[in-house]
Amino acid sequence: MIRLENVTKVYEGGTVAVNDVSLDIQKGEFVFLVGASGSGKSTLIRLMLRDEPVTRGRIWVAGKDITKLPKWKIPYLRRSVGTVFQDYKLLPNKTVFENVAFALEVLGRPRSVIGPQVNQVLELVGLADKSQRYPRQLSGGEQQRVSVARAFVNRPPIMLCDEPTGNLDPKTSVEIMRLLDRINRTGTTIVMATHDHAIVDAMKRRVVALEHGRVIRDEVAGRYERTSEEE
Amino acid sequence: MSRFVYLIREALSSLRRNALIVIGAIMAVFISLALAFGAQVVNELLKLNTRAWQDGTHVVAFLYDEGTDNVPPGAHEQLLAEVRSWEEVEDARLVTKAEAWQEFQRIFENDPQMLDALRDPTVLPASIRIELEDIRLHQTTRYRLEQQQQVVRRVNTASQSIEQLQNLSDVLQILGLGLAVVLGVAAVVLIANTIQLAIYARREEVAIMKLVGASNWYIRVPFLLEGLIEGLVGAALAVFAVWIASNNLAKAGESLELFRLDISNQWFFRSGLVVLVFGAAAGVLGSLLGLSRYLREADGTGPDIPKGF
Repeated sequence: MIRLENVTKVYEGGTVAVNDVSLDIQKGEFVFLVGASGSGKSTLIRLMLRDEPVTRGRIWVAGKDITKLPKWKIPYLRRSVGTVFQDYKLLPNKTVFENVAFALEVLGRPRSVIGPQVNQVLELVGLADKSQRYPRQLSGGEQQRVSVARAFVNRPPIMLCDEPTGNLDPKTSVEIMRLLDRINRTGTTIVMATHDHAIVDAMKRRVVALEHGRVIRDEVAGRYERTSEEE
Repeated sequence: MSRFVYLIREALSSLRRNALIVIGAIMAVFISLALAFGAQVVNELLKLNTRAWQDGTHVVAFLYDEGTDNVPPGAHEQLLAEVRSWEEVEDARLVTKAEAWQEFQRIFENDPQMLDALRDPTVLPASIRIELEDIRLHQTTRYRLEQQQQVVRRVNTASQSIEQLQNLSDVLQILGLGLAVVLGVAAVVLIANTIQLAIYARREEVAIMKLVGASNWYIRVPFLLEGLIEGLVGAALAVFAVWIASNNLAKAGESLELFRLDISNQWFFRSGLVVLVFGAAAGVLGSLLGLSRYLREADGTGPDIPKGF
């Protein structure tokens, strides 16, 4: 589903964020990208979303080499990849319903389709009763659930999550992880950057540990802690 | 269709939310276009007045009598035909001695003393009255007529003042056009600036739109509609304001005999349409310019998602 081949990203000024990373992520996998701040987790997510161009190497997402994707095709890539970020990235002037519907509006879906589809996904994330509220009227956990709903409403084959629990308390984080786990069970591939030990340890999924932009460990049903032990 | 309605709704809601910035943009267009359109109105008035003063005869060639002074019969008609063939001549007509006497009598019908003074009507010469294509060519015509010494006794041309007025009108027209261009560019730049401000205020929103897969055009259209509406409203206000001002000027100038201050509604309609189209175009162009900075880096090098790894 996602394949990285000798990917390197060097930012202006010479900072090497990702250094010769190769990864294969299968359809339906749930993969944690772990590592300290500055290890290259978020950059890797941004590269997979073509929010940054690679310096060297190639990335395939859903069978397409996105490093050679022309500019005008980038929106199409993003429509097939749901994204969830630490700061939710919701449109403040739109209601919960409108925020989720926006992902479908962009695709040009008719209103008759948008309404039922949005309501269904809001049921899934448990926010059906708050569909007319604005983001500022919701708690952090609720805002992140809206963000997950928006990422999933289009039923994308892949979801990229960058520290989705970074701003949430442990209890709310567990709620979000349960939600992501449910989505993963529908066959959606999920790649999640995090440095939340408890979550990684509890989920027992594939763990890719990064340090200074390099993969230092890739373990099926791994734990967070082993990263430091292997060093 | 629903997508288009959605984009229009987005544009209108954005106009509502950013009322202050929108009013700023509309005022910018209004002021620029009102000044530019005002300059055009002044130009039109100048044109109307110079045209009114120019109508009629520009050059008069007084002729020797036929049959005397070595002027053969038919020489007047022959000269008239030649004059009419000159490219700078719009129209020419022959005023015979008899017609000259009739004209004299008509002009001085209320002045019996003048009529008495002219004891011998035959002293009034025949003449060719010439209307030129362009009044500034009167020297050429004068020169050509003066070559016809056998027939032409004397040549009178339009006064220099009309020529100066024509030159002044030309200069003012060029200045007016220049002013309109400068103010038009200013309108585009002001709209671009305003739209850029609006986008800057909504850069997070634009980034989120791109994140969920909105194409550049999808993001652009509401902003373009915003610019279009701002440009149109500003231009409509400018046309209306100048029209009101011009009408008031015309009313105030009704008592003036020398000048015309009334411009036809037809001219206003035509020119007003041009201003509206320009306003709309300036709005769209300004939006495009304002947006280009934020959208040209859609390949992922733009300031989309906060950096950090």
